[in-house]
Amino acid sequence: MLDFKENEKIICLITIISCNRASLTPTKIEMKKTIIYRSIINMSDSKNCFSPKRSRPKMLIIAIFLSMASFAHSNKSEPTPTINTESRDVGFLIAPTVLGQERTITGTIVDEMGVPLSGASVQIKGTATGVAADFDGNFSITVPNEDTILIVSYIGYTTMEVEVGNQSNLNIQLQPNASQLDEVLVVGYGTTVKKDVTGAISSVKGEEFRNLPVASVDKVLQGRLAGVQVVNNGGAPGSSASIRIRGTGTVNDSDPLYVIDGVPTESIAGINQNNIESIEVLKDASASAIYGTRAANGVIIVTTRKGRRGGKTQMNLDFYTGFSNVIKTVDVLNAPELGEIKRERYTNDGIPVDDIWSDPSYLTQRTNWQDELFKTGVTQNVDLSITGASEKSSFFFGLGYYDEQGIIKKAEANRVNLQINSDHSLNNWLKISQNLSLSSRSNNAFNTTSAQTGLIWSAIRFNPGLPVRNADGSYSSSQVSSEFGDINNPIFTVVSNDSDTRRTRLLSNVQAEISFTQDFKFRANFGVDAEITDQKNYEPQILDQIRQSSSSNRFRNYEQFHSFLMEYFLSYNKIFGDHSIGAVAGYTEQSFDSQGFNARTFNVEDIESQKLLTNGDQDEATEFRSNDGLRSVFGRLNYSYMDRYLLTATLRSDESSRFADGNRRGTFPAFSLGWRVSQESFFNVPSISNLKVTGGWGQLGNQNIARLQYLARLSSGRRYSFGLDGSNRVEGVSRVSIANPDVTWETVVMSNFGLEVGFLENKLSTSFNYYIKNTEDMLLQPPAIGSQGSITSPFRNVGEVENKGLEIELNWQDTKGDFSYGIGANAAFVKNKVIKLVDGNFLASDFYGRPNQELSRTFEGEPIATFYGWKANGLFQTQADIDAHATQEGAVPGDVRFIDIDNNGVINDEDRTIIGNPHPDMTYGLNLNATYKGFDFTAFFLGAAGVEIFNADRMQGLDASYPFNLYSEILDRWTGPGTSNTIPRVSTLRTNLNHRTSDLFIESGDYFRLKNLTLGYSLPTDYIEKINLSRLRLYVTGQNLFTITGYSGLDPELGLTDGNLQQNVDFAQFPQPRTFLLGINLSF
Amino acid sequence: MLFYFSFLILLSSCQEDILETVPYGESTSAEFWRNGSDAIAASTAMYEPLRTEDLYGHNENVFDNCSDDIFRAGDHGYESAMENFTFDDDNAGFRFGWSPKYEIIGRANSVLINVPDIEDIDDATRDRVLGEAHFLRGFAYWRLHVLYGEVPLILESNVVEGNFNVPKSTVEEIRAQIESDFIAAANLLPVNYPAEDLGRVTKGSANGFLAKLYLYKEEFEKTIEAGEKVLNGPYPLAENFRDNFTVATENNPEMLFSVQGEDNWGDVPKSYDAPRSWGGWDFHNPVVNVVDEFEENDVRLPNSILQPGDIVDRGEMGPFEFTADLTQTGYSLTKYVSYLPDGNIDRDQNVPILRSADVYLMVAEAKIRLNGAGSGDFEINEVRNRAGLDPISNGGMPELIHERRCELVGENQRHQDLMRWDKAGIVDIVQIYGEDRGPFDPSRTFVRPKHYYFPIPQREIDLSNGVLIQNENYK
Repeated sequence: MLDFKENEKIICLITIISCNRASLTPTKIEMKKTIIYRSIINMSDSKNCFSPKRSRPKMLIIAIFLSMASFAHSNKSEPTPTINTESRDVGFLIAPTVLGQERTITGTIVDEMGVPLSGASVQIKGTATGVAADFDGNFSITVPNEDTILIVSYIGYTTMEVEVGNQSNLNIQLQPNASQLDEVLVVGYGTTVKKDVTGAISSVKGEEFRNLPVASVDKVLQGRLAGVQVVNNGGAPGSSASIRIRGTGTVNDSDPLYVIDGVPTESIAGINQNNIESIEVLKDASASAIYGTRAANGVIIVTTRKGRRGGKTQMNLDFYTGFSNVIKTVDVLNAPELGEIKRERYTNDGIPVDDIWSDPSYLTQRTNWQDELFKTGVTQNVDLSITGASEKSSFFFGLGYYDEQGIIKKAEANRVNLQINSDHSLNNWLKISQNLSLSSRSNNAFNTTSAQTGLIWSAIRFNPGLPVRNADGSYSSSQVSSEFGDINNPIFTVVSNDSDTRRTRLLSNVQAEISFTQDFKFRANFGVDAEITDQKNYEPQILDQIRQSSSSNRFRNYEQFHSFLMEYFLSYNKIFGDHSIGAVAGYTEQSFDSQGFNARTFNVEDIESQKLLTNGDQDEATEFRSNDGLRSVFGRLNYSYMDRYLLTATLRSDESSRFADGNRRGTFPAFSLGWRVSQESFFNVPSISNLKVTGGWGQLGNQNIARLQYLARLSSGRRYSFGLDGSNRVEGVSRVSIANPDVTWETVVMSNFGLEVGFLENKLSTSFNYYIKNTEDMLLQPPAIGSQGSITSPFRNVGEVENKGLEIELNWQDTKGDFSYGIGANAAFVKNKVIKLVDGNFLASDFYGRPNQELSRTFEGEPIATFYGWKANGLFQTQADIDAHATQEGAVPGDVRFIDIDNNGVINDEDRTIIGNPHPDMTYGLNLNATYKGFDFTAFFLGAAGVEIFNADRMQGLDASYPFNLYSEILDRWTGPGTSNTIPRVSTLRTNLNHRTSDLFIESGDYFRLKNLTLGYSLPTDYIEKINLSRLRLYVTGQNLFTITGYSGLDPELGLTDGNLQQNVDFAQFPQPRTFLLGINLSF
Repeated sequence: MLFYFSFLILLSSCQEDILETVPYGESTSAEFWRNGSDAIAASTAMYEPLRTEDLYGHNENVFDNCSDDIFRAGDHGYESAMENFTFDDDNAGFRFGWSPKYEIIGRANSVLINVPDIEDIDDATRDRVLGEAHFLRGFAYWRLHVLYGEVPLILESNVVEGNFNVPKSTVEEIRAQIESDFIAAANLLPVNYPAEDLGRVTKGSANGFLAKLYLYKEEFEKTIEAGEKVLNGPYPLAENFRDNFTVATENNPEMLFSVQGEDNWGDVPKSYDAPRSWGGWDFHNPVVNVVDEFEENDVRLPNSILQPGDIVDRGEMGPFEFTADLTQTGYSLTKYVSYLPDGNIDRDQNVPILRSADVYLMVAEAKIRLNGAGSGDFEINEVRNRAGLDPISNGGMPELIHERRCELVGENQRHQDLMRWDKAGIVDIVQIYGEDRGPFDPSRTFVRPKHYYFPIPQREIDLSNGVLIQNENYK
């Protein structure tokens, strides 16, 4: 233990380093306490790097706490030496008998491995008297007599009652509690046990998703937690998913906040899922309000693996490799069929057939472009981890490499990841821990969301009569005829691609925990999150494809982001008889800075060594920068009475730079109550082992909107060239925004009602949560009406969105001899509804591709991003059908009949209505696992029900007015009365607009997918010990093995195509592949 | 470890106040509008939307596909509906250019609000910049009103109040605004510019557009008055017709207003016109009917339209013969397509909007319609002379109509000309468009008065929350 003078030195060291011009000199280091305090005051007055507004309290706080810690420990007597025994078989050991009345008992509390349990509680039964074990697990307590019974408890361990008798020294060993109720959950700024939770928290352990073949953690969460919807944005290697917790709460940024080992951040990218110990999702306001302003969309707490005290050093080597294939392709016409349809469309229109459709050389089937595009992908992963510990320190070291070559050539991703975590107890009052994650990941992706140039979109549509390459070796081109459309040869697009994006991220923090007493602690946490993005691209000169590049160009974009976190908080936990209190209070601030530049030069030679910015005609260079800051105080109180009545109350107050001075502060309160009915003496239902009801309410904030909304800004870049030869390029400046000085937070108000029931000694545990989540003051940009030009409207706090939902989780775990098995099921039902928008108006979304069609709108009273268009009612079979119908200008038999929604006798824009909902009514997951002797088996299913998809690709794929190839389905088109009632006649004219946005192209998006199946076998221990291994497991894994769906497109998981405003629209996105893996786990 | 700990405290302590953010790369209204160079930057920004694809980069030129000169050859389905008068109110073609025109108006309004208060600026620059603002605002309303008729009128006060969702003004009100803007521009703008500023609008540009406005209003005396200010000014016809359409000579005095092309900046009207295998996209094909309109030996024909057998010089790639299979109609609009020495399309080429030749013909028309056949012979013959044709005498409207068609083919005039002549009873547009002249010039149904204007983009109606009312004929 440090003596007081050493403590003084630490304080001085910190103050001197922090404040290089403070009025302290090295000669004054050996000073008395009074001098320290004077120094603290002086320091905070000094006009140095600290801005008086901010740093003074901060430094004051830390210095005072450090001093208090030193006081507390310098005044405390040394603990009485204890007798340790090596016994592991008994809970306590009988020591020499001492007779007498009131006396002092000492003892040590250890876990099943013999590791001291610092902070374990020792209480005299029937009284409020209690103490906690110190760092070494030692305690000392005065007991009234021999009959005294001590209650020894520790989070995660079975509580033990110990009769004192005539012992004076107890060596107590606690056994871990297998019950789920005692499972430790990581929550904001602390931990709790499941039985005490009054909010809605879901948790998943890292083991459940180890060694799954995806590059990012967000994807492995899919289907595992009720109420956590993972929206896959395609299956391209390295692509990320959007996570929606409890529905889409706002049309703005609805991504959750991640807290990785205590560092709040917006991204989980770069974290290796194999290094994760557990993930907790804070879903309701009571659980997440401690993160106030950024908690509106939920909080995901990620804890990486740590070394285990007392555990021996162990090395694990995991390796897997496998291959992946496309699951499905779109059936398209072959060349002769295409010719037939093309000729027919001209004939139908009375237009001469273009000669190319009679040219036998283009009527010969040559290429199935999708087959040419998709290939077998290869994935491999290797992870090395080492964990170990001494009595005072522990560490985790992880080094991993992941490489995925996708199902399209050059669509690839890889990641190298280093994780180093350690913690150290320097003495009995100071504990330091650090986490460091360094990752470098690279990926290359193709555009697969454009209906003009998208790669898969192009492969579906490129002419099947063209070869991949011409006889002379050049790539075939639709320049041959305007009848082939303006699509570049997709294989050429792949081959000519030369781009790469590499991101290097450092996420690290160091924490110091100072214990004033066993109950009262101070913690400081300093973190850094930094990322460098380096994007390189080269485009050759393209003259022999229809979409040309008049000159080659080299582009490079370099960005760096960094964020610093600094926080200090106090925690106090104490049990007074039937009363248990836990409190946390603290201060935090985080700064964010993002900057970068990019440049493009033209006419760079297509030679690897020449592809540098310096080797071209420099044309443009841009630099950009932005910064943000957040400063907050927070507090939480947990109280429980008799382990039955529970209360949690939270308050957080934030100030954010996103808003104008005066509107910066937001305060977010929350509370929740719980009643553990099964603890009551009157409760006597043998089959129900646990019954808890909870209810809570709270407010949360969301600040993620475009910066500087409170300023009217002007921007340059509106260039124009003048002069005789146009060489005088003049810079133009114009206004880009209208200011709103009043812009402030979005506020979410959420109520949660929970019910937790455990049956049969909690073999079956269930939980039900119902919530109402209202986003008030949603920040909306009034729709940019054309008459204001392209100036953006400022955000205003006017919108409201409501999400109501029910979440159910069921878990069954049982063992029968060597066979143990478990079933986990979860389901979430959510209803999303927009209550209020600007002036009752709707929000538009991006228009679709070439036809420039509107697909989705967001209306009041409806879910976000509903599909909006006409309703179709079959096809007109005869002229009589047309005459009998409302006036539909231009319609002829074989055209689509649209419904006259407003009954005014004319089909026009007023007949558009809501035609579909992209949000699933229910998402669910089902996890089956079993082990028998050395075998292990896991099957993981997930799905969605009550969801609709707008199949825009099919809409265009059936529209013969385009000069593209078509879906095979068009062979069933209308060719005369009675031939079809769904696929209209083919035509080049758009007189009836058969392919306007209508419910003809809406399909059910329900699916049930076997996401993952793993079968493993661990070799018997006695066998592998001969080769010095402690574990050898071989396994096979299949990913996306089967999907039951009625959806006709490539993949029913489609994601977002215009923020939250357009969802579940099929643009021929990159589909998720089917993957098979073979892996091995080795432990030494 | 302690050192690390302390280091982090130091690191996080010594930053600036984290709640203060900086608008890097942008300025606020309070910091701008300081001097003459800010005024010029703001005036330059007014021109910029013109060259974008939504305006003269492509979409503004699509409106003349409706005429009997051009076949829509591209694969934009909505353009086919526009050409055939089968469009619905939500046709993308009506939507594209709507907001960019208001963006020009908005930028002009900003100049008109702020530039008068700038102190650090010389009078000549101030007058010029204000004149450019009046001209471009007038021009944007000109285009809005010929396409849509009644549209919302957004002026300085709307910007100050932040009120953009306003009801439509009548055609008369819009025209009155256009007239006052062009008159103000004519008073403020310089007669011409030094070489480095060619391409900016002049007094001649403003007077030329005034003449056009008065002609559309059938105020012929005023047309002549304004037009003659151009014809008597330093804006003579270029010596060669082709001079207006080559990169080296296109900014000659005849070119009263054109959109300045710039390679790599995304404006692509040339690509939309050139044949596919020559690097273009082949979107606007002349039809045989307009080719037949030309008299023999009219130098304007080979300089406007490629016919089979024509030879095009593509620099290093050599001479190329144009053949009928290169485009759908067998003809190609070549008026503002030219090629670089390496054989690729020269994207520096401008898009003409108003030339003195047009003003000659406007003055001629006004004189004929005011004083009868023969009174516009002088102006018509000036234009014919440059085209290498014999003079005419006693020319009436048929001769004038013929001359305008040949001189201005592909310059986005014909459909508007036909409609105003139809309104005046000079031609029968229903009959002209109704005639079936084969697959690329089929019979199309023009409905009077509905098709005199296009519908206001349906989306704008939807967004206005009842404030903006659709054109009566499209309800």
